[in-house]
Amino acid sequence: MRDCRNAESFYLYLEGELDPAERRGLESHLEDCPACREALAERRLLHEAFTSLPPLEVPPDFALSVMDRLPEPATVGHRWLAPLIAATASLVVGLFGFYLLTGESLSDVLVAVSRISGSATGRFLPLLAKMFKVGTLVLKLAADLVSMLVTGLGAVLHALGPQGIGLILGLGLLLSLLLFFGAKRLLSLGEKT
Amino acid sequence: MSEDSTLVFKALKGDRKAFEMIVRKYEQPLTNYLGRMTGEREAALDFTQEVFIKVYCSLGSYRPAYKFSTWLFKIASNHLIDHWRKKKLPTLSLDQPIDADEGSLTPQVPDPGPSVARKFELAEIRQKIERALESIPEAFRELFVLRHVNEFSYEEIADIKSLPVGTVKNRVFQAKEMLKKRMEGS
Repeated sequence: MRDCRNAESFYLYLEGELDPAERRGLESHLEDCPACREALAERRLLHEAFTSLPPLEVPPDFALSVMDRLPEPATVGHRWLAPLIAATASLVVGLFGFYLLTGESLSDVLVAVSRISGSATGRFLPLLAKMFKVGTLVLKLAADLVSMLVTGLGAVLHALGPQGIGLILGLGLLLSLLLFFGAKRLLSLGEKT
Repeated sequence: MSEDSTLVFKALKGDRKAFEMIVRKYEQPLTNYLGRMTGEREAALDFTQEVFIKVYCSLGSYRPAYKFSTWLFKIASNHLIDHWRKKKLPTLSLDQPIDADEGSLTPQVPDPGPSVARKFELAEIRQKIERALESIPEAFRELFVLRHVNEFSYEEIADIKSLPVGTVKNRVFQAKEMLKKRMEGS
């Protein structure tokens, strides 16, 4: 009767949850202890009943009724990309149109926009303002590059006249719409099939 | 990627058939679990439906690094807890001490009581277990059901309930001894 185990050991033994040393120790003890053998036999029957409780009946059309109640499709959370892409495209088109209509240097326009944003933010968040200054420099460099490209293109458009400019703006708008709907289609991952 | 993760990925892409496959795969285990927790089949079916809808709405937050069934049952368990809180039903935290009667559940063998094995046949024992299940605190019942009805490992239950594995093992054992005691008393 020495080293009798508690009931938890019996359950863990029956579930195969004892490590090899514990299992051997228990089995060795069981050989010499009729009381523990009886207690184990009792838990064995209970364990068998615990692990064989019958399943509850589920109606055959249950899955369909769940599907009928599903709300709008789940998404992976990238839908914000579609308007972002469209907004970026629209901004580019707008700046380009502004340049064509006013003749202002594109780099001047971009730098002015950056400065306005930078100074407004700087009043509240100096750190953010510094970041904007760095951004402005980067933007100015990028704008100069774009400006060089656009100057060449502008000369061509100038030769085309107002109708040509209108045509380009129309194409730009069309491109924005295509980008918007294309991006939306690509990124709306939860659409119904 | 596991089969479940693939189905989730497809469902996120808008494949409703993939989600239907998930429902068909888990409707039975989920109903078994919720049925034992609520004690009513009809209520269990309603809960199961609500859990699947919740799961569908949360698919985007599922991470394939985790086992899908564990994630699913975590949602089901939280859904039950929310329900009980709303209904203001008395709940027993696993951290709460159990009452004096239950607290004495540290049986040492040999057990002097009448042998359950001799008193009932297996089928009768199952019926008794079903009835006794309704009378034990749900915190213990839930761990028992997850272990023996849904056949989760102790480690998986620990993940579902955010508890240490040792605590889960001990509570499942206590649940079994509570059931045994109630069956002997009936």
